[in-house]
Amino acid sequence: MSVDTLSTAGTVVKRPKKINAGAELARLPLYLWAAVVLIPFWWMIIAAFKSVPELMRNPPTFFPQDPSLDSFYDPNAPAAGGEPNPDAVPGVFQRWPDVAGGFLRFALNTFGVTVVVTVASLLIASLAAYMLTKTAAPGRRTVFVVVISSMMIPWQVSLIPNYLLVSDLGMTDSYLGYIVPGLAKSFVVFFLVQYLRSIPDELVHAARVDGASEWRIWWQIVLPLLRPALAAMAIFVALGEWNNFLWPLIIIRTEELFNLPIALSNLSNAIVSSPGSMGVAMAASMMATLPTVVFFFLFQKHFIKGIALSGIKA
Amino acid sequence: MTLKQTAAPKPDAAPVRRTAGRPSHRLQRYGPAYAMLLPFALLFIVFLVYPLIRSVYYSLTDFNAIRPPTFVGFDNFAELIANDDRFHKAVWNTVKYVIGSVTLTMVLGLLLAVAFKSTSLRDRLMRTVFFLPSVSAGVGVVLVWKWIFMVDSWGLANTVARFFGGENKSWLADPAVSIPILVTMAVWGGAGYAMVLFVAGINAIPDELYEQASIDGASKARQFWHITLPLLRPVLVFVFITSTIGAFQIFEPVYLLWRRSASIVGGPLDSALTIVPYLYDMGFNRFQLGYASAIAWILFAIIFLVTLVQLRVTKTFKEFDR
Repeated sequence: MSVDTLSTAGTVVKRPKKINAGAELARLPLYLWAAVVLIPFWWMIIAAFKSVPELMRNPPTFFPQDPSLDSFYDPNAPAAGGEPNPDAVPGVFQRWPDVAGGFLRFALNTFGVTVVVTVASLLIASLAAYMLTKTAAPGRRTVFVVVISSMMIPWQVSLIPNYLLVSDLGMTDSYLGYIVPGLAKSFVVFFLVQYLRSIPDELVHAARVDGASEWRIWWQIVLPLLRPALAAMAIFVALGEWNNFLWPLIIIRTEELFNLPIALSNLSNAIVSSPGSMGVAMAASMMATLPTVVFFFLFQKHFIKGIALSGIKA
Repeated sequence: MTLKQTAAPKPDAAPVRRTAGRPSHRLQRYGPAYAMLLPFALLFIVFLVYPLIRSVYYSLTDFNAIRPPTFVGFDNFAELIANDDRFHKAVWNTVKYVIGSVTLTMVLGLLLAVAFKSTSLRDRLMRTVFFLPSVSAGVGVVLVWKWIFMVDSWGLANTVARFFGGENKSWLADPAVSIPILVTMAVWGGAGYAMVLFVAGINAIPDELYEQASIDGASKARQFWHITLPLLRPVLVFVFITSTIGAFQIFEPVYLLWRRSASIVGGPLDSALTIVPYLYDMGFNRFQLGYASAIAWILFAIIFLVTLVQLRVTKTFKEFDR
């Protein structure tokens, strides 16, 4: 009560805002830190546009003196099996000559898998979440407890048996084995359940009285209501899948099926034998990272809201 | 809590009411509901519950993927806990990494949140800058760090070291800096994420509390200790626990930064060897699948116990506040 009276009389309380020189001075190290945070990005971008000799210049240049696209495609690079040239290494798009499309193919693979996993896992989870919150089906409480408990077990525990299971099913080295085992995401169900609980049951009941089927209620009422939660989860799932590394590392052998993280990790092996390839690795890293950054700027609001929601709901 | 609410039978839940007790009618009534759960339940059972059960069994066997597993009881666990020096090293490294990365991520995330919590253009810009690294997590970013810590004189880390009067050094070959390198990467990638959570928590605290406090003459520092921190506790606990769990599972940076050939994991003198890379090494380089399964369950036990302790400790603080 006293707080209320205070805020109505708030005009008296609020002092005119003055610029606090002390506070700004205290922030100075933070601005410096912000600059430091950006340096790895800068270092990656300039390395992608340096020529091989410039990459190995000492001290290094902080702006490319002679920007080149050689790290992407170097016309002077020796053909496979040709005389190695220390100043010209095959660019990103010249690597993996056995794969149609090369690096681009990996980007498309990653994009396709990310879309499929995101859409499928969200649909599956939203169905389960609807069943668990808005129906009276017996046993749903037990199911929910089991789902929550499963979240406490680190996923690495199921890594080895899952690998063996997938090989028993003959699904290694295929998209099926890559995608399907990861589709049931407990934390998405948990999050959607939390969100659905804040939505009044009356909406669903009204639709049921009107004779709508459960599937229709899910599709036409629940999914639209879930949109903010789905957007938040879609971002989490999509980012995770874009960067998925350990599972495809174990399951995928054929180069055609590589995703970007696996292709990048292959490049990192090449670096050990020839440091001149670092520019190529940075060009590839840049192309793999750029989409996530663009994605972030496009959906910044959802990102921040989703993260905040996850913290407050849990 | 809300479960109970929805569990109470609703008179208008379905048209058939009186016959709900009989199994056949139940199925008829809830058939669609169960059908909706089916896709998730099926995948959950086949690719999580069943593998977990198999994992328990494997952890009790000697299993090298070629010959069928032979039951050895708790031998794997006994060996890991009593004799395996490499595993002890991995656990100890992981603990150091977890303590370093979680503490720094939380403290610096909180600092950033307090400094840049408003909706002004400057604060939003700064938050974007600090959040950017957590958006671009992944293998690409690890490669950038590898490039930065390159042995040779043209690496960025060495250039900076020389600028401050140091000498070139082989960062990735020095056991003493392995964990600090991992912590640096974790803080770079994680502080902005924690900051976003803290900003949301801080902005949910009613302004009136601060106004009241400043009328009473409380300094900014006192307001922070007695208003911000206590009211932020749920978010602090959430970040504390989730970032700890995540840190225990570190794999990619270790695997990628120090890998020289397919079968070497863990860096110089195993100074960067943590639990999951060791599990990977045992399982997929040496094909000791039973042994690796035991490692996985010990990882679970460690995370479980640490989470329990964290919940306990944060609860104690809660009582202390009152």
